[in-house]
Amino acid sequence: MSRVESITRPLPMTGTTTPEARVATLEAQLKEAIVEIAELRARDALKTQFLANISHDLRTPLTAVITHGEILRDGILGDLSPRQMESVRGIINGGRQLLNQVGEILTYARGAANQLTLVPTRFGIREVLDQISTLNAPLVKKKRLTLVIDAEPDLPPVMADREKIAHVLANLLGNAIEFTPTGGRVWVRASRASLEKSEQITSLLVEVGDTGVGIAAEHHDLIFREFAQVDATPSRPHHGTGLGLTIARKLVELHGGRIWVESELGSGSRFYFMVPFEQTD
Amino acid sequence: MQGHVLVVEDSELVTSALSVLLESAGHRVSVAASVAEALALSPAEPRSLVLLDLTLPDGDGLALVEPLRALRWSNVVALTGHDDPDTRARCISAGCVDVLVKPVPARELVSKVATWLG
Repeated sequence: MSRVESITRPLPMTGTTTPEARVATLEAQLKEAIVEIAELRARDALKTQFLANISHDLRTPLTAVITHGEILRDGILGDLSPRQMESVRGIINGGRQLLNQVGEILTYARGAANQLTLVPTRFGIREVLDQISTLNAPLVKKKRLTLVIDAEPDLPPVMADREKIAHVLANLLGNAIEFTPTGGRVWVRASRASLEKSEQITSLLVEVGDTGVGIAAEHHDLIFREFAQVDATPSRPHHGTGLGLTIARKLVELHGGRIWVESELGSGSRFYFMVPFEQTD
Repeated sequence: MQGHVLVVEDSELVTSALSVLLESAGHRVSVAASVAEALALSPAEPRSLVLLDLTLPDGDGLALVEPLRALRWSNVVALTGHDDPDTRARCISAGCVDVLVKPVPARELVSKVATWLG
């Protein structure tokens, strides 16, 4: 029996023991459990640190692979034939994709170890929406999707960590594009809203919607948890680290905001996140 | 403009890629793999530039900016794996003239090096 099972299994309460003896047993077990929990937490922290270190170290050889690829692609060592060029582009694209995935794991590990800090600046969400839309334009075109970006007029600027908000948007839009079949519709809409039950408009609300496959209600919580992919079948048609939404949630919560999804299987998804216009600590 | 580029970086994988790239662009490339190796260098010639990795086996790369400047290596550019505003600010306040995030696109690095060597 593992140590964890020894904590969680039902307590042996049978026999002819006195109430005092039972209390003593329970107290001993409780003490043991407290020690075990502390030990597991410490081990979890070590594992997280390992994940952060290893993903950082993986970047070095990847950097070398990509740079050598670009040296060849850019003709610095002479011209390539079209087929050689195609092959070298494959090396670079594969390397860049792997580098992004390693970066996601690093961000996740830092988030889990509470090593992410916000660097807030004041910016307009519209610029970030335009930037993310430009970045995704090739993929949108390839899948013949319609991408609509819409921001309510006169939205006040938001005081937030611009890179992290852009990261949240990139992950949400990336998912929307990936899970929407060819010819579908994807949209991003920014507006103002009030957090909690307050009447005052204090928060920026962003919706990322799609006409894609949708998510069953029982999976709405699961998808924000680490390492969870709803489609965990062996064939796994959708790739990635499975950390995109976990990271998005972490980054939104760091801003004192919240993130959620509204969706049904087969009827598309609408992801929402809300962050206060002003950071208060 | 061609010149002398000092790469302070402990990964041989990275220094060999940067050497191929920068030598092809006509620059002379020297490598220092640690803080100690960098400190043992001779003063810079005119038209020289340092590409500095931040994490070296024997210490913080940024601690080298001042001593390198004393050796007239005044053009120091940080090369980092961390793409965050904190790191950027730390590099600039240590005296680096710019901060590049690895992997720097090959063409971009060549054109930036040419600009700094002026």
